[in-house]
Amino acid sequence: MARALLPLLGLLVLALGPATVARGQVEVPANDGWVTDLAGMLSPAEERSLEALMESYKQGSTHEIALLTVPDLGGESVERFALEVARAWKIGSAETSNGALLLVSKGDRKIRIEVGKGLEGDLPDILAGRVIRNVITPAFKAGDFPGGLRKGVEAMHAAIGGDYGPIESSRGARRDRSVRGGGVAFFMLLIFLAFLSRARRMGGSGEGMGIWPWLWILSSTNSGRGSFHAGGGFGGSSSSGGFGGGGGFSGFGGGGGFSGGGASGGW
Amino acid sequence: MKTTARRGAVSAGLVTVIVLLVLVLGLGGCVAGRYNALVSGQEATDQKFSQIDNQYKRRYDLIPQLVETVKGAANFEKEVLTGVTEARASVGKLQLPESPSSDPAALEQYLGAQKALGSALGRLMVTVERYPQLTATAGFRDLQVQIEGTENRIAVARDDYIAAVKDYNTTLRRFPANLVASAFGFERLPQLEAAQASEREVPTIDFGEQ
Repeated sequence: MARALLPLLGLLVLALGPATVARGQVEVPANDGWVTDLAGMLSPAEERSLEALMESYKQGSTHEIALLTVPDLGGESVERFALEVARAWKIGSAETSNGALLLVSKGDRKIRIEVGKGLEGDLPDILAGRVIRNVITPAFKAGDFPGGLRKGVEAMHAAIGGDYGPIESSRGARRDRSVRGGGVAFFMLLIFLAFLSRARRMGGSGEGMGIWPWLWILSSTNSGRGSFHAGGGFGGSSSSGGFGGGGGFSGFGGGGGFSGGGASGGW
Repeated sequence: MKTTARRGAVSAGLVTVIVLLVLVLGLGGCVAGRYNALVSGQEATDQKFSQIDNQYKRRYDLIPQLVETVKGAANFEKEVLTGVTEARASVGKLQLPESPSSDPAALEQYLGAQKALGSALGRLMVTVERYPQLTATAGFRDLQVQIEGTENRIAVARDDYIAAVKDYNTTLRRFPANLVASAFGFERLPQLEAAQASEREVPTIDFGEQ
């Protein structure tokens, strides 16, 4: 019985792992909220606070700024990569196309600000270029990735002229998300406990025990990197730290109206 | 007994009428559906085509400012600048056909001229690299970002158009839409050549390391 369950759990772990969606030639990474930090340039706390900031932008003036860091672009140009991601994630509302994406490829040392059609007037190429050149690049050159990313996002927001939204509403969204993440965790805990009791009844041969805790740890690590798409940790215990993500993410607007506006740079 | 037979005849007639009605309506609906799909496909390609034109115009409008800025640099290579100015002038003389399918020759000429302008501009942006006193200015960097942004938008608009035409042409060739298409005179749209990797590469200058 335990053996029969094993592939099932393997599937579950696979399903929760980071998935990639193929679109054209570009492998668009799975989204993980406002900040998808695949290159690991931010600490969980920094990611959370940045996500809270971005959520407040959306609550305030409805525009959506997302951040993606990747280890490398896989040989793709930064312009094309950013466009495919921004379109696939459908950043910005369908009516106003008011989304923007800040993309950083750590390995290629490249930065791109992709601007949705509706924001091209407020955040024209010139301004996007200045944000990269004068705000992000100096910080990156000094080795301050979190500072550069945060200041960059703030500068984009300032250029757009957006408002800060009420913090309460974004907190509410965060709690909801945590509960969902907690649900998955609870489900896994149940399976784990069920197996544990079965293993004990079988006399604890130990054969199955070898892999189960590992699977458990593996899935915990996944959640720590926000693969539950919600973060906030188990049962909403985000204060315990370690389980990143969170920050409240009410979702992208579903528009994805991008036509190649923005600017690129490097450090 | 008699009434049942008559009722049977009546209902048989009714069934025939209903079946015919359903057939006619279904066929009509099918034709209308394909027709509408073709129309909206055509409209999407037209819209995407005009987007390419918009981006080309944007580049066209940017060039005088670039030429003025570069001219100021001490002994800048004249022939590179003249190349850009001339390519721009020949683009300015051309008119884009209303729809991509209406005049293939004019379309080809127009796209050829735009391509020539693109490569002249690329040469200029590479040559400019030899003038650090020019490229170091904030004004030039702003201009460069705009040129890059425009080239990128052109590439995106072309890609989008190519995708839309591909969709449309595929719809057109499929059964039964092909029957509807030939009945109503829908034609295949000319496809743009996808940008070569070297073409898509926006000429970038890395100021950071200098």
